[in-house]
Amino acid sequence: MSAAFHEPTTIAEAVAILATEPDVCCLAGGQSLVAALNTRSFAAPTLVSLQRIEELRGLRRGADGSVTVGAMTTHRDVARADCFQAGQEIVPQAAAHIAHPAVRTMGTIGGSICHADPAADYPGVLAACGATVTLVNARGQRELAASDFFVDFLTTAVEPDEMVTAITFPPMPEGTRGIYEKFCRSEGDFATVSVALILGMHDGRCAFARVALGGCGPTPVRAPEAETRLIGSRLDDDDISSASNLLCSRAAPQSDVRGSAEYRLMLVPRLLVRALDRARRRP
Amino acid sequence: MSEAMTLGTSLPRLEAAAKAAGAARYTADMELPGMLHGAVLGSPHAHARIASYDVSAARALPGVKAVVTGADIPQRRFGLTVADESALAIGKVRYIGDPVAAVAAVDTEIAARALELIKVAYEELPAMVTPEQAMADGAPLIHEGYAGYPKIFDCISSGNIMSLARISAGDAEAAWSQCDLIVEDVYETQAQYHAYMEPVAAIAEVDAVGRMTIWSTTQSVFRTQACVSEALGLPRGKVRAISPYVGGGFGGKSEPGVQLVAAVLARACGRPVKVVLRREDDIMTMRSRHPAKIRLKTGARRDGTILARTGDVIMDGGAYADDSPAAMTIVLHFLRGPYRIPNVAFDGRVVYTNKLRAGAFRAVGNAQATFACESQLDELAARLSIDPIDLRLKNAIQQGDRWLGGHAVGSASLAECLTKVRVASDWDTRRAADQKATTTGKRRALGVSSIVYTCAYLSTSAVVRLLEDGTVSVATGAVDIGQGSDTAIAQMCAAALQLPIASVTLVRPDTDATPYNSGTNASRVTYMLGQVIAQAADQVRTQIFRHAADLFECAEEDIELLPGGRVAIKGVSERALTFAEISRRAHFQVGGPIIGQGSYVFDAGKNDPKLAIAKGTISLEHIGTYVFGAQVVDVEVDEITGKVEVLEAWSAHDVGRAVNRQAVEGQIEGAFAQGLGYALMEELVWDDGQLINPSFMDYKIPGTLDMPPKFHPIIIENPEPTHPFGVKGIGEPPVIGVAPAIANAIEQASGVRIRRLPLTGERVLRALVTRDSRAP
Ligand SMILES: Cc1cc2nc3c(=O)[nH]c(=O)nc-3n(C[C@H](O)[C@H](O)[C@H](O)COP(=O)(O)OP(=O)(O)OC[C@H]3O[C@@H](n4cnc5c(N)ncnc54)[C@H](O)[C@@H]3O)c2cc1C
Repeated sequence: MSAAFHEPTTIAEAVAILATEPDVCCLAGGQSLVAALNTRSFAAPTLVSLQRIEELRGLRRGADGSVTVGAMTTHRDVARADCFQAGQEIVPQAAAHIAHPAVRTMGTIGGSICHADPAADYPGVLAACGATVTLVNARGQRELAASDFFVDFLTTAVEPDEMVTAITFPPMPEGTRGIYEKFCRSEGDFATVSVALILGMHDGRCAFARVALGGCGPTPVRAPEAETRLIGSRLDDDDISSASNLLCSRAAPQSDVRGSAEYRLMLVPRLLVRALDRARRRP
Repeated sequence: MSEAMTLGTSLPRLEAAAKAAGAARYTADMELPGMLHGAVLGSPHAHARIASYDVSAARALPGVKAVVTGADIPQRRFGLTVADESALAIGKVRYIGDPVAAVAAVDTEIAARALELIKVAYEELPAMVTPEQAMADGAPLIHEGYAGYPKIFDCISSGNIMSLARISAGDAEAAWSQCDLIVEDVYETQAQYHAYMEPVAAIAEVDAVGRMTIWSTTQSVFRTQACVSEALGLPRGKVRAISPYVGGGFGGKSEPGVQLVAAVLARACGRPVKVVLRREDDIMTMRSRHPAKIRLKTGARRDGTILARTGDVIMDGGAYADDSPAAMTIVLHFLRGPYRIPNVAFDGRVVYTNKLRAGAFRAVGNAQATFACESQLDELAARLSIDPIDLRLKNAIQQGDRWLGGHAVGSASLAECLTKVRVASDWDTRRAADQKATTTGKRRALGVSSIVYTCAYLSTSAVVRLLEDGTVSVATGAVDIGQGSDTAIAQMCAAALQLPIASVTLVRPDTDATPYNSGTNASRVTYMLGQVIAQAADQVRTQIFRHAADLFECAEEDIELLPGGRVAIKGVSERALTFAEISRRAHFQVGGPIIGQGSYVFDAGKNDPKLAIAKGTISLEHIGTYVFGAQVVDVEVDEITGKVEVLEAWSAHDVGRAVNRQAVEGQIEGAFAQGLGYALMEELVWDDGQLINPSFMDYKIPGTLDMPPKFHPIIIENPEPTHPFGVKGIGEPPVIGVAPAIANAIEQASGVRIRRLPLTGERVLRALVTRDSRAP
């Protein structure tokens, strides 16, 4: 059982506890952390529940079209939000793909990205969107790009005395569409492979492309060279297959019970084709 | 309520409200005064000799009340078919997780900490994790003492092969030459976890005179009693087994879970001890469905008449025999399928390996056999250019036919089941349609499978007592493991005595209070209990009539039963006597309390050696009453990812008579879901003896959203002539045909045949890639 349990009501209170307690960690929706505690595979730390901190909840659309999501916003609330626009709709799409209603009602975006499971749905989406993560400690605040936030398997750049307060999704060019393709073994399972795509077309040519993969390495995989290869092309088979190759060469999937590494690499180009098809079809 | 009103109606489960409200108490919910908590230490090695133990640090931990190892327990073995197990490993461990030591402490945390303090020195032995490794020349023996273990069958064995069995009929070798077409291939099935909602749990208590009581989640209080008594060397009567509510079993709780560990701990510390396994430990140490490798060969004439079939089966039994030799007998018994195949020869070997034991699992043996048989039948149909349902109908077993070895088949309704699913699914039109890939890369097609199983097995008994107020109490040892048998038993008893359901109360299974029943398995409970409920109710009725005849001063033949617990002279219903009046007379004035009892053992007769030769098998004399079914699935193959989805399904079953329609539909849906998991996603995976997916995060079972959006249970009722209520079993049959029906649909949709379960996206996609690379 937990050594101690705190329930601060403000961010300031929370970071003060994080700054002083030795073995301490945040508790968000508990969907990953409590399950891990139940395995008794590590000593229970002091827990700082973020449930009562109202300022960590909710979504806000900025004047520039960016959307800022509070760390304690549940998957359910993100999935139902209507403030995401062109291209950003990939965020609620992915949220709707997480687990089952029970998990979506408790689990939070902050908890998901801090857990940093590469098979989870948010990390790839943050990478594709070029989202930034806001981190706070007792001394101040900093912003990290998604690419700097995810460091390794289940490892982030969050320092022991820090917490995530929000995630900001920048606006995408007008007319872009976001498509989230998730392959999993059963409904509600983690992804074997996921593809997060944001695509803009102009006059039959690709004008904007962002692609990120989940389940294909210790952190979400992005390949700017693959995006460059797509941009300006007509997305012919050749274009897609060479972009896929570029993506796959950045991927470093592991074999596990969800699928072999080889299968994951087979899925990447196939899911990319499907995502590109869906993005180009009329809604 | 008349019989017609009680039987067949979808009465709500007797315990539904209690379960839904969380008021029903399971073993883990129970608390006894002074109760301790037990924990089990598992072996870290797949195969090793135990050199020594050091439990001093664990014993010294405050709060620890007992630490036991294999050295401290009676050096005795138990087991259903082969007595090869002990409560804790003695001398040797045989799989990762094999219980080595156990602790009882004041709470679960201290018990868990004490486990970490136990030191066991091992001498590692080579681990054999596949049957091939275990059968290799010079492979070390997993059970050196095997020859000396007591067994319940004429065992033929060698090396790590725990049993070699053969069933044959006719002359298959001679028949091949008459066949125009022969198909032959190998079909492989995987280890599936039972995934009952309630992990295993037990509480043991020894009373002041040394009598042991065990509360546990079990499919049979009598098997629990037998195993504890054998393992501890206690006479049967010194062990009492009780089952509170049970949260599913599916075969996994037929044999012991943690009852023996709880028992040895309770003996060691003199206090009640509760042991509840965490899910991960349950997956690692309980049991799985037998992985099987089946080489099957079938030959037919050009017109589709099947003349011969041979099969060679290797099953992985894991570290302990459990019911493996029986499971193999079932495989061989069903490899012919529900067809008239005159010449067959089936060989089977069950092999010990250094893995989790395999054991009974919903349609044990049959599910594996049917995956091979029904897959191969479609391959044969394709090669013969015959519609798969037509081929099945052509060879279907018919009324009056006998099963392998001579069992009577009873109502042989396979053809009716096939026809029902054919019509309901619009099979003929749909199959004729070409399966073009859609723009989204998906193809769709129907697939079919026949099903046959049995529902009568071993023995049972019941006592029906008429209470003073005219209601009845029914005592049977049949454990309702969640499938609904209590409600079915109550409905049959209510029907037999024309009582409202509220007048029937069931006694919870308790070896002290309820008479013998072999177990909740083999789809047998409603069929078997119906036999004894009818007998017992008949005796009660006879006694009631005797009193009534006495009081009315008429002949017993002139008395009739009226609905609602009354009797009267025929035609004079206005002068009726109530059961209460008669029961009070019996209790306090004349004759004594009214009690009826029923005892029944199913007897299918001896194997007729002129019809079939069986060697090394378990007796099939007490198993029978054949149940038929058929399933059609509408499957979509995603050719981009290989993922397979079932969009619609039809599952038709001849249940003889549905005692409770909704419960029957529930069994059909639930078993279909479990079959879907077996077909598409469930598989326990080992890496060098280590189970790598012992959690529901890694081991996936289907949920509601994985079920076909449209599902059609089809209930066929041809009353079973050997049964007083016309009933047959339904608990297992619907699990059986799902995997082959899906594999058959995949071939029809995408032209790839996959002979290995589960049919994962990865396996399907690899097959599709191979198909495309071969295409011109
Ligand atoms: C059955 C099941 C199925 C699931 N399926 C999926 C799925 O399909 N896809 C998917 O993406 N996820 C899935 N998940 C995971 C789920 O999304 C979790 O909700 C998520 O991983 C963790 O979020 P949480 O709010 O529950 O965080 P918690 O479990 O409370 O915390 C997780 C970790 O993050 C840390 N943390 C939490 N919040 C903060 C913060 N603000 N600042 C710093 N550190 C913080 C905690 O200390 C902890 O280490 C599943 C979970 C379950 C139980």
